Amino acid sequence: MPNCLYKFETDDVFHNRIKTHPECEFYIYDSVVYYKNRSLQSGSFTPSVPNVKPGFVNLYELNVDRLSGDTGLIYPYLTKTSNVESFKTVSISHFHTQFDYGTKVTGTYPLTASIDREYFAASATRKHVDALKNVFDYYLPMSKHYKFSSSLGEKSSQALNLISVPSIFYGSSIKKGSVDLRYYVTGTLVGQLKDENRNGELIQVAPYGSTNSGSVAGTVLYNEGFLCLTGAWEINDRQLKYTGGDSVDSGRWLYFGVGANDGITGSSGETASTQTRASASFSMAFSGTHYVPVLTMMAHAQKGKLNHSNNPTYIDYESSASFLPLTGTYVYLERDRTIKNIVSASYTEPTASFKKITYISKIGIYDEYRNLIGVATVATPVKKEEEIDYTFKLKLDI
Amino acid sequence: MAITYKTFNNADLAVTRTLLHEVIPITGSIVSGTYVEGTTNETNIKNYSHGMFQSIYDYPYLSSSANHIMDITVGYPADSAMSNSSPLAQQMQPKKINIYNQMSQLLVGFDHTGAIRPFDKDGDLTGGNKIKEAFFITFARLLVKDEIQKNTFRMSFATGGTAGNSRFLNSMTVGDYGADSSYKVNSPAGEYGILYTSSVTPNEESGVGLLYYQAGVAVLTASVFTSSAANDFGSSFGSSATSADTRNINTVLSGTAISASADGFRTRLINVEFNNTTELNSTIYFCRANHNEFNYSSNPTYLTGSKIRVKEVSKDQPLAYITTVGLYSADKELLAVAKVSEPLKKTPQNELTLRVRLDY
Repeated sequence: MPNCLYKFETDDVFHNRIKTHPECEFYIYDSVVYYKNRSLQSGSFTPSVPNVKPGFVNLYELNVDRLSGDTGLIYPYLTKTSNVESFKTVSISHFHTQFDYGTKVTGTYPLTASIDREYFAASATRKHVDALKNVFDYYLPMSKHYKFSSSLGEKSSQALNLISVPSIFYGSSIKKGSVDLRYYVTGTLVGQLKDENRNGELIQVAPYGSTNSGSVAGTVLYNEGFLCLTGAWEINDRQLKYTGGDSVDSGRWLYFGVGANDGITGSSGETASTQTRASASFSMAFSGTHYVPVLTMMAHAQKGKLNHSNNPTYIDYESSASFLPLTGTYVYLERDRTIKNIVSASYTEPTASFKKITYISKIGIYDEYRNLIGVATVATPVKKEEEIDYTFKLKLDI
Repeated sequence: MAITYKTFNNADLAVTRTLLHEVIPITGSIVSGTYVEGTTNETNIKNYSHGMFQSIYDYPYLSSSANHIMDITVGYPADSAMSNSSPLAQQMQPKKINIYNQMSQLLVGFDHTGAIRPFDKDGDLTGGNKIKEAFFITFARLLVKDEIQKNTFRMSFATGGTAGNSRFLNSMTVGDYGADSSYKVNSPAGEYGILYTSSVTPNEESGVGLLYYQAGVAVLTASVFTSSAANDFGSSFGSSATSADTRNINTVLSGTAISASADGFRTRLINVEFNNTTELNSTIYFCRANHNEFNYSSNPTYLTGSKIRVKEVSKDQPLAYITTVGLYSADKELLAVAKVSEPLKKTPQNELTLRVRLDY
């Protein structure tokens, strides 16, 4: 417990936040999604160490390299009570009919997330798009292409490619101007979209001079994490089985990301190799926006303060024969102690003039009840003399 | 910004608590033998330069995917037989004594004289047998969460094993059998149960350890290892075993580093399993819209041409659609917002109660 405590004043404590932009990239090839180009990492018990498919992230990273029949899996459960609490994955009817009171309702780990693609042919029903009607219109001040229903397109009925990005990948919002979609056929870039105007319009920017270059092929819902592609023009004439069946079509933005958790399986077993979807691959890159709240505290070591230490080495034990108190029938006398002179001198004798010097090595943060709640340690102790003052800047991510 | 506020009364609030559990299996294959680099370097085991405990991870700890599972350490008090200078050679004795004292300070506390209480076999601190030489297994908070669920802890390990022979001889399972009704509360660290070797008629002598539920610490007496017929306590077995691996538990406890004792215990661990508990506290706010309330809106779109948009003729009753419930502080600061999945029609003909649940 220190014997000197200073209270932070109003100007000594700041609450601010750091805005970060983590980069994120997905590569989709033959119905497999690769996240940040991570390869499959084989473990001792599982073929995938994080226990998720490629392109997925494992929330909390539980059940890393674990197998059900071998190491066992961590899983959650609730006991059914009259509170009627259950997991979201258990339907209400299942909960009421399949579980008695007192029995366990189990869930599974790991909890995972990845991008998800939905393709809607013209006039197909589309609950997930309809649910975004107000959201699209909310972005209207940024671009007329957001309009849910306009001469630029009827999102309720036109062919549409909706790519959903969970917020774990981008944080608070996708950074405007960072979205970059690339469409490859047999390894050649046949189309590239960027939101270069930072207004949510995904504009075709490559190949340079291509037909429809400069056209808007879709929009981005930055806060919600959706990419809505409506560009139906042909960007490559190679006929591939983009829709999962045997029908073939040219490359279009509507088929961007085919195989990204949309139920369309890989091309293994296909006979017509010239028409295989494996000829096409896709890259999707963007930056997120993530806020880190930061608490900044200014700790002042003022002139003439903090120049004494309770550290036992602060005392010069060699100069006194004994530190034991003088005791007798009528006397109890503590002996004087000399503070060690550590002022640097050019000669051993005589020594330099005495000065009170301490070395600040740690700063403790206490709450109002004087509980130590944090310690900041400096990299090297800071020499504190009586005529010097310091301000230490302490930053804490919260 | 709302223009009408309605104050909650006591009947509008309810507090509930839900207990969420997780089943945590820790097999022996995770804690030893799987992630071996070269011949002896186990990459999921971290030993520190201070040597006071050993950390176990579920995957090589240099990987960002690795999770800390538990720490293992040993200790004994100054009056233990292990502390005698003869006949056992000693190593790291002050640290082992400090560890025991620190653990017992935190988990058992002090007596009326200010002296540190030793761990008691049956939890009755007024007397009885004490646990002196002990293994301490501190489970990571990631696994324990709020607390270990009572009567779910089971730990299997071998009490023997010979260096030139089998790894697992004389296996034993200990658990906090019956602790859901017989747990103790006289610890400064919370509730604890007694570890028994079976659920049959436990008595003071049959207790082999203690389990602190909120702290997530298991204390296992080292005496369970000495009674075994084959009691080598080294960490290596078979052809790779050395003379150092033929030492018994007493020699390892007193005459080797703490990490050697941790290795000996870890390599005999067959299985640990327990359930954890997370308390989910909820407050339910019943937001009541009576028949004569919330039938108008201050939304600009509510009016068109100075007339209410949703009324066909002027004699129609007013109506509004509720889309959002805002929870405000006493100072009328917006604290939380609840959205309904679809707008709810509100007229003077109906009353609504919206149940808003806040988990924390």
